[in-house]
Amino acid sequence: MRTRTKEVETTDISRTPDYLQKLVSHIRLVRMKWIDNSRYFPMMLLMPVLIFFLVWNIIPLLWMLGMSFYNYSLLTGDPPFFIGIENYVDLYFSYSVWESIAKTFTFVVLSVGIETVLGIMLGILFWGSKSLPGRRFFLALLFSPMVLTPVATGTFFRLIYEPTFGIVNYFTKTVLGVEVNFLGERAWAMFSVLVVDIWMWTPFMILITLAALGSVPTAELEAAEIDRMPWIKRFRYIIIPNAKFILMLGILLRTIDSFKVMDLIYQLTRGGPGTTTEVIGITLFRKAFEGFSLGWSAALAVVTLLIAIAFTSIYLYILNLRTQREVGE
Amino acid sequence: MKKQWRQLFYHLLLWSVSIVFFLPVIWILMAAFKTKNDLLSIPPKWLFTPTLENFSLLFSRNDVLPALFNSIVISCLAVVVAIIVSFLAAYSFSRYQPKGTNFLMFILLSIRMVPAAASVVPIFLMYTAFGWKDNFLGIVLFYAMFSIPFSVWILKGFLDGVSPRYDETGIVNGGSRLHVIFRVILPQVRPGLIAAFIFNMIFVWNEFLFNFIIGGKSTTMIPVVMVTGATNEGGVDWGFVSSLAILYLLPPILIIYYFQKHLLVGMTFGTVRGEI
Repeated sequence: MRTRTKEVETTDISRTPDYLQKLVSHIRLVRMKWIDNSRYFPMMLLMPVLIFFLVWNIIPLLWMLGMSFYNYSLLTGDPPFFIGIENYVDLYFSYSVWESIAKTFTFVVLSVGIETVLGIMLGILFWGSKSLPGRRFFLALLFSPMVLTPVATGTFFRLIYEPTFGIVNYFTKTVLGVEVNFLGERAWAMFSVLVVDIWMWTPFMILITLAALGSVPTAELEAAEIDRMPWIKRFRYIIIPNAKFILMLGILLRTIDSFKVMDLIYQLTRGGPGTTTEVIGITLFRKAFEGFSLGWSAALAVVTLLIAIAFTSIYLYILNLRTQREVGE
Repeated sequence: MKKQWRQLFYHLLLWSVSIVFFLPVIWILMAAFKTKNDLLSIPPKWLFTPTLENFSLLFSRNDVLPALFNSIVISCLAVVVAIIVSFLAAYSFSRYQPKGTNFLMFILLSIRMVPAAASVVPIFLMYTAFGWKDNFLGIVLFYAMFSIPFSVWILKGFLDGVSPRYDETGIVNGGSRLHVIFRVILPQVRPGLIAAFIFNMIFVWNEFLFNFIIGGKSTTMIPVVMVTGATNEGGVDWGFVSSLAILYLLPPILIIYYFQKHLLVGMTFGTVRGEI
């Protein structure tokens, strides 16, 4: 799993600024014989992370796994009692769980699909932007949606979508003559949430596309230019083979992230109206902290965890493919 | 001549695409400087006399300043702890490759891929059982764990790029192991440290769910205030929401401007590198 890439930054000590060197040189490094002679030095370095990992991941994970076999509700006040795999059986036969999984997948497919297409198109458009005046400023504007707090964007899109005085409705009223309650109507809620997600994350796909195009060797492109190769062929034989790995990594990252979506939708619609926009994250949150059935939501959390691990494995598989190919070259 | 026009047209197109993506933020920026009547007026007002009323109201509330303080202190502390810890681990992974390195790296990445809503239930149970809820240190250490996977991945990538020759030379010339790590290797992974710091700051800064569930009165951060404090006498207090949003969105936007070089590495867990 070496993540060494071709574009590794040149590590030149002379570029290190003074402040960092000054800071580091203030740290007194006492030569400690026992550290230098210890066989366990690699383990010592790992220890802090392992402790963090044990306390904040292994313990909660085991706790959750255990909890998923119990009937534990905060509402009744009864002590938890063991019910075996009943929670999982209940999940399997629960209509609302399957519905929210279906909604999550609709959301993921639509958002990632549209973001990818739009992002690739705009990314290609921005390919030749090296000479753009004020490039840095405008790229900052372009990329800012993806680093904004989802809670804040969710809240202020409620203002933008507001049926009586929101700006979007002003346009639909003047142009189409209809007033639409974007977040409150079943037919529109999912669409409106998707638009916000696409607005937030298309810049990410633009960024990925730019990186992917940047990884295409310029020599090959110049050769194609001299040969007057048609653009379709350039894409087919030069650009796509070189750019596809980074693009695939980007798409997978987006898939995983949009599978995780929660705060944005929670703030926009709270999963409503009804359960129209209730994706899996919202179901989990609602069951655990509004319905207080912790055993049941622990079981659902275990299932989600497994799905997330499956996604991660695919991601790493592609990452390894790419690294292997580069080493092979 | 024709080429110049084409160039100009191309630039205009790129400028307008960027501005279109930024429009919603501009609208909120305008809303933050409007009076209540201007905010709710139909049709929406494009021209208005700006006022600082919303901001003065914002700072006169007693929950905003402590929350802002918490946001800054908690995210800084958590990220600093995470980076120190991860740098050591990443060094060990990169140079010694102890048994199970690949597996541990996989597990670390999986942690970051798990939906927050799935991991919040066990964390909540653990925090209530241990009595760590609304504990400053508890929150800081949780966010440190939240930032570790990303930092380890990004720093390992950068450390792999530094030749082991440096380590060997350092040792041969009589440096201790710690000397090699902190004096020779650390300064060379500066871009990785910066990227890890900046992007973990943004992730912690933006985090809402865990602060909402395991935080309390003394550890509230801004996103929670925005969710809980937005409603006022039945309706949503839009002046409050927009001014707080602007205050809170400003740092990430500035970071995007000043650290654009690190954006790609930061948004992809250090797995993709290159020029944009």
